[in-house]
Amino acid sequence: MVLSRLKGRMPCALLLAAGACLLVTPAALGEEGFGPVKAPKFDAKKAELGKRLFFDVRLSGDAAISCSTCHQPDKGFADGLALSKAYPGSKGFRNTPTLINTALKKNWFHDGRLGTNLNDVTRESLTEDYMMNMDMRLMQERAKQDPVYVKMFKDAGYGEPSNGSIRKAIPEYLKTLTSRNSPFDKGEMSEAAQRGFELFKGKAGCAACHSGSRFTDDNPHSIGVPENPEIWSDPMRHMTYAAYAMFMGVENYMNLRRDVGAHVRLHKADKSDVGQFITPTLRELKQTGPYMHNGMFRTLFEVVSFYNTGGGADPNKDPAIKPLNLTFQEQQDIVAFLESLSGDVLNGPEHVWKDKIPTEYPEIADWRKQPN
Amino acid sequence: MKLNSKLSVVTAGAGLIVCFAAGLQAADKFPPLAPLGDPPIPLDNPQTEAKVELGKMLFWDPRLGGDASTACVTCHERDQGWGFGDALSRGYPGTVHWRNSQTVVNAAYLGKLFWAGAAASLEKQAPSAAKGAVAGNGENDVMEARLAFIPEYRKRFNEVFGTEWPLIGDAWRAIAAFERTLIHKDTPVDRYLKGDKKALSKEQIAGMKLFNGKAGCIQCHNGALATDQKYYNLGVPPAERWDEDGLAQVTFRYEQYAKGVTQELYRKIKDDAGLYYRTKQKRDMGKFRTAPLRYTKYTAPYMHNGAFWDLAEVVDFYDAGGGENEFTDGTLGKNKTPLLKPLGLSDKEKEDLVAFLEAFSGPELVIDQPKLPPYAPLASK
Repeated sequence: MVLSRLKGRMPCALLLAAGACLLVTPAALGEEGFGPVKAPKFDAKKAELGKRLFFDVRLSGDAAISCSTCHQPDKGFADGLALSKAYPGSKGFRNTPTLINTALKKNWFHDGRLGTNLNDVTRESLTEDYMMNMDMRLMQERAKQDPVYVKMFKDAGYGEPSNGSIRKAIPEYLKTLTSRNSPFDKGEMSEAAQRGFELFKGKAGCAACHSGSRFTDDNPHSIGVPENPEIWSDPMRHMTYAAYAMFMGVENYMNLRRDVGAHVRLHKADKSDVGQFITPTLRELKQTGPYMHNGMFRTLFEVVSFYNTGGGADPNKDPAIKPLNLTFQEQQDIVAFLESLSGDVLNGPEHVWKDKIPTEYPEIADWRKQPN
Repeated sequence: MKLNSKLSVVTAGAGLIVCFAAGLQAADKFPPLAPLGDPPIPLDNPQTEAKVELGKMLFWDPRLGGDASTACVTCHERDQGWGFGDALSRGYPGTVHWRNSQTVVNAAYLGKLFWAGAAASLEKQAPSAAKGAVAGNGENDVMEARLAFIPEYRKRFNEVFGTEWPLIGDAWRAIAAFERTLIHKDTPVDRYLKGDKKALSKEQIAGMKLFNGKAGCIQCHNGALATDQKYYNLGVPPAERWDEDGLAQVTFRYEQYAKGVTQELYRKIKDDAGLYYRTKQKRDMGKFRTAPLRYTKYTAPYMHNGAFWDLAEVVDFYDAGGGENEFTDGTLGKNKTPLLKPLGLSDKEKEDLVAFLEAFSGPELVIDQPKLPPYAPLASK
């Protein structure tokens, strides 16, 4: 039986509860707190509304893109690209992060520039000029023009559509995006994956940062990932980065040829935070390559090899990043473990708005007599 | 002088107006029409050839907008009178605007820009248009960053403004300088007023007399610019499109929200309150700045919401004593200017007046479209 095999390999016991749900006792979690991701509570009607908003292109300035343009359900709510697309007229300078389990994060974006809540993250993503470039006042009035929204907002308890409730409903939907049914959670890891888990916790030292049920400490670190040269050779990516750095108050931004990362949070005078990025989750990696903040690695094996050689060259590199002397087999085992952290593809009707969303706006009949 | 004392009552407003008797020689009281001179040039943004040339390129460049699709010229098209040939302006993709696009021609002379005077200079008007959600929807940081990746612009901004990198504020200065070259002053009216008595036809001269007299146009359309640059509610009817088009209804509400009206007014209002958005004074509801008259041959439709498709319709509107809207009929205000009364013009008089209005336009102002320079990577460091 799978469980006993797992038990045999793992000193910490995993207890299988009724049904497919696997519960882990606190003892079993160990210091790192591994275990299934606990699904946040959410309001079904609000989340349903948020789902429609998530897939609606009318939430971008020129009605060309929706949240789902870059956060695609079939791709783990990322986009499969090294660098994301961005709003028309701009091009992205970072890899699109998965939104699965995003509700549990302590900060958001690769640089961790928002550490408050998903409402703020939603606002940032909607209004940032290289993301969705939406004036939220116009967004509100667009929602009010759609009878489906008028009913959904009312049913969800929000009253009439407003930009404030849009920024509440989308996070409610995001709370529904929780990892489930990974081999790791189900206790169905292959032997290679089980060996990889031991290395992950032990010799490879991954668990020092990749801890907890989402396998991240939510903290910034530098591991010396090489710059993605396309950011600096493609003028549209470079200019988008320049606009970002300008807005974030980064010094000398026109002469930068590297992504300063979490430096935008504290702007440390000694620049010890330059090149740090928030530890990413290891959940759903099978769906979300390429990897790293700039998509520099196409495969998980490349990622593990990178760590095995002690990461990249960077003055701010975290001292914990050292050559690991892993064998080829050991690296493959870690990859097998990482793959065991990927579960269901969340692309069914529970997570995807399947009905057609209109792009036109029906007129309000007898407009002159209707209160706005 | 008797006339003067009567008129001082008028300017005092307060509904006591005795009225402009038909045939009143109002021209005596108002700055007379005059040939147009050169536009004023602000001391802090002098004209240079290089700046004008740069401004011309930027005027055409859609990269000064949100999704790099919408330039100044997108809504101020050369062959549409340097405006936009529909009642409401085109607007940013995914939107429609809510007002008629005004011509850029002779904007250089105006003290304030936009229909209700929301911008104090051309240098201020350009960013408002480039950044508004239903116009350019651009943002300073992205637009400025784009300019830095166009080597031709780096060179030209450096030559004109002396900066290492282009600054977005300088882009607006250059565009304003270009706009100050879109001047239209060689019109039959100008030539006539300079002494060329053959510049106007007999009908046009008759129209001018009506303009200055019976029709009372001169009360507001006066001076060299043919506008007093003041704000009036004429009772122009609301845009029809708001009744019929969901996209236009979205923008209408957005504008109320964005311009900061009270919740109570937001619910009730169904027309463009014009100057009110600036002053928040009820007496200013539905007021718009008197439009200049030069180049109007090319700038149909007319009025702040493009309510009239030709000058004959405009003249008919004034002949009827203007119209009504919710800021004149008591719904939200009673602000109709007392200057408007039924004029009792005959068909012949209306034709003469239109003929005279057409004499405010000379040859169409056509210039060549500039070639836009491409992006290029910066040298790596």
